Amino acid sequence: MSHVTTSAELAHDENAVEGSPDMTPGRRGFIKTTLLGQPQAIVGLVVVGVIILIAIFAPLIATYSIHEKTGPIYAPPSSAHWLGTDDGGVDMFSLMVYGSRVSLEVGFAAALVAMVIGGTVGIVSGFLGGWVDTLLMRITDIFLVIPDLVLIIVVAAIFGRHLINIIFIIGIIYWTSTARLIRAQVKSVRERVYVQRARSIGAGGNRLIFKHVLPQVAPLLIANTVLTIALAIFLETYITFLGLGDPSSISWGKLIENSFLGNAVLNDAWWAVVPPGLAVTVLILACTMVGQSMEDALNPRLKVGHLAVRRFRMRPLHGQLDSE
Amino acid sequence: MSTQPVLRTEDLHVWFDLPGNRELHAVRGVSLELRPGERMGLVGESGCGKTTAILALIGLLPGSASVAGRVYLHDEDVLAKGEETISPHRWNDIAMVFQGAMNAFNPVKTIGTQIAEPMELHGTSTGRAARAQVRELLELVGISGERADRYPHEFSGGMRQRAAIALALACQPQVLLADEPTTALDVMVQAQILELLVRLTRDLGLAMILVTHDLPIVAQVCDRAAVMYAGEIVEMGEMATIYHDPRHPYTRMLFSATPDLLGDEDVRSIPGAPPRLDREIAGCPFTPRCDSAFAPCATTHPRRLEVAPGHEALCHLNDHLVAEKPA
Amino acid sequence: MQRGDYILKRTLFALLTVFVAVTLNFVLFRALPGDAVTGLKCHNCTIQFKTALRHDLGLDKSKWEQYVIYLKGLAHGDMGTTFISHKPVRGELWDPIKKTVAMIGLGTVFSIIFGIFTGVISAWRRGTVMDKLSVWTALAFYSVPTQWLGLMIVYFVADRVGLPHGGIQSPDYGILGNPGTYDFLVDRTEHMILPALTLGLVLYGDYTLIVRSAMLETLGEDYVLTARAKGMSNWAIVWKHGFRNAMLPVVTLIALSLGFVIGGAITIEYVFDYPGIGLAIVDAIDKRDYAFLQGAFLVLTLSVILFNFLADLLYFKLDPRVTT
Repeated sequence: MSHVTTSAELAHDENAVEGSPDMTPGRRGFIKTTLLGQPQAIVGLVVVGVIILIAIFAPLIATYSIHEKTGPIYAPPSSAHWLGTDDGGVDMFSLMVYGSRVSLEVGFAAALVAMVIGGTVGIVSGFLGGWVDTLLMRITDIFLVIPDLVLIIVVAAIFGRHLINIIFIIGIIYWTSTARLIRAQVKSVRERVYVQRARSIGAGGNRLIFKHVLPQVAPLLIANTVLTIALAIFLETYITFLGLGDPSSISWGKLIENSFLGNAVLNDAWWAVVPPGLAVTVLILACTMVGQSMEDALNPRLKVGHLAVRRFRMRPLHGQLDSE
Repeated sequence: MSTQPVLRTEDLHVWFDLPGNRELHAVRGVSLELRPGERMGLVGESGCGKTTAILALIGLLPGSASVAGRVYLHDEDVLAKGEETISPHRWNDIAMVFQGAMNAFNPVKTIGTQIAEPMELHGTSTGRAARAQVRELLELVGISGERADRYPHEFSGGMRQRAAIALALACQPQVLLADEPTTALDVMVQAQILELLVRLTRDLGLAMILVTHDLPIVAQVCDRAAVMYAGEIVEMGEMATIYHDPRHPYTRMLFSATPDLLGDEDVRSIPGAPPRLDREIAGCPFTPRCDSAFAPCATTHPRRLEVAPGHEALCHLNDHLVAEKPA
Repeated sequence: MQRGDYILKRTLFALLTVFVAVTLNFVLFRALPGDAVTGLKCHNCTIQFKTALRHDLGLDKSKWEQYVIYLKGLAHGDMGTTFISHKPVRGELWDPIKKTVAMIGLGTVFSIIFGIFTGVISAWRRGTVMDKLSVWTALAFYSVPTQWLGLMIVYFVADRVGLPHGGIQSPDYGILGNPGTYDFLVDRTEHMILPALTLGLVLYGDYTLIVRSAMLETLGEDYVLTARAKGMSNWAIVWKHGFRNAMLPVVTLIALSLGFVIGGAITIEYVFDYPGIGLAIVDAIDKRDYAFLQGAFLVLTLSVILFNFLADLLYFKLDPRVTT
């Protein structure tokens, strides 16, 4: 460790959130450090919260039905249609409101799938070690070699383009990185807890260790899942754009695709192009903010940079008269 | 040994900024003198401010630090304008061997390149001349000159420490600050490094401050010692004097806690903990852990007293003796 | 001799992965419904005709036999015949790949240079407004759906700077007689700039964050403090000690990421109607031309493996500590 106890390190000692993941503070400490320490987490949470609320109360917020033509084709924003209409004369604002539902659903559900699969594989692999570990890791490697798009095409062709399939395919694409992360964490925790309790453990030891491993792993898993939500939403727009999405569900990604296929650019209809992409970006950014803050809280960067961007300052001694 | 000090500090203070507009007063009025060829030990527990103090001497404190007091190299006040005045002297006149010198080297560059760097930066020599000098330096510290083109990971811990010393000597400074130069080395290697340092100060007339928490080292190697506690020097004097006639309870407890000076004890054996430095301390900071504390200790800060020529202590037990040591 | 061992190991591993990839490729695409014959558009095809054709093409043999035939074919560079145009897949791949590589090359170079530049500055000015701005801008571009960014650029930028909306050749190219090499280059470049810019913007954010992270890690190392003590200026420290060391992990990460660039390129080519391999893939998906897709993805997978391998070699060359 470094030679000088800088103020940053001293101040940090008070919170005792160390660099190594084993000193995860109690749950309250974790939430405190994440939120209060980083305003971006609060901003992120608020934004996601607002979008969730919009999704829940969609029928109350939307101004028109999204299944029928309620205005002229590509009408610009007006008091009747706040965000204009799309190439089918459907109100854009209502489309955006309802679109939040599918985007959120896919994002959260897919991330959940990834978390469950990845988390399980990671915990089992890290905990049991040995041939189970090696086998699972080889399987992970295989998944990494397959291009994502191939998996998507194959699943779409064989199982059909339903929303549930898309959710699963996204989850399957992302479980590997979660698995690796959790596995590493479980391994390091296992070493520690095992050594500490080696003497007091009898036959039921494994279950005890399991009870202690999980709380140490959970915060990291949650942070990773939040970040995966962002990735899942991103991937959903990608899948839909290539025409492999569910044709019957309207997500923001679908709206982007529609604007492309409907030649919104040629028709100068910016209101059909800008909002969905903007919304997706904002949602992804918000999730990233929250997830990143969580990860930072778990692995704070203690190393003080040694670049002297600011120099130390000189000051006169109290009550010292210059003898010059 | 000439009698003019090569390094002199007067009432050196260092504060660190803390969040919430608070400050950590890490160094609280350190005054010392160092003569050419002299080896002074600076001892104390972790956190007592010894490393911070020597970092202040070479001007390597971070931006969150503020410094007050005077540091004279020969007769120039090198801290007068902070970085501006100290940087021309850094490495040329005063150099440092850092704690954990194992990591002081960049793993992707050769040792030789890194030792030549300050030479080229300060214009002392370049190119082939520099390379030749690097080899000489390595030989001086006991490493074969051919190893200059090797990478740090190819050197053992002890050799890296020697290389770090060679690096410090690159621009022929007069003062060498060594921060825990032997921790993380095994006993045999430790002895070699210490022997090297003694030899260098003798042969090159180097003045050295050796910072450590390891008492046996200080006793072995240093002519004089300064004991630090809570940011202050609580006792300072000749090595033998301090050992046989300590005038501060902390010094006494330190040495008596070490049954065998040739053993491996350090200062952990005094119960209690040092005071927090982010607030002002009333009276003597050692009071809570002191076995000789009496009336004035809790309320009045002791004055720096010269208990004998060249021997000073910061303790009320000496109050009856002498007048205050002139500042 | 240890260094030779390392290269050998990595080469063997790469070859093994190639083999696994080829096999997986076969398995996945053979699992899809439909084959060369079902894709045939012939008016009077009787069932007997199709059966006979299947026999001729060897499609009625067992999967294992087909696998062996496939492998043999690959060994001769034969990737089969496309469903739609019945041309050899290999020939159909070459031209689009060239065009894609040119465009991606331009975009990637931009993103790497810009990413490294912003990452280094960010790390140097850590904690300042510039740093935060840089990081959040990088994250924002990273979160933007690629296709949407492309659409936005076409909509808002193309006309303003006088660049084409898409395609690879202007309608008036060569209208005034034989176009020379210069005209060719200009025309091509004009059509490449916007797609490459889109790619660059989408990619750079990732690099900024990677570089920043690696630099911060490096700048907190002890040898940086030593460098400062030796009298090196901030700039010299950042360049000679910080950058050089941080580039180790950065180079490997960049090389690795290059293998996955194609994913973004697909949507970009679709939006910009740029006739590269990405657009060809989208087309093939739409037309269910699995033979073509199989060939295309094989090439892509191989390039990922190749880049991984190169990344290994590069790291090996740059880090003197690696001997095993």
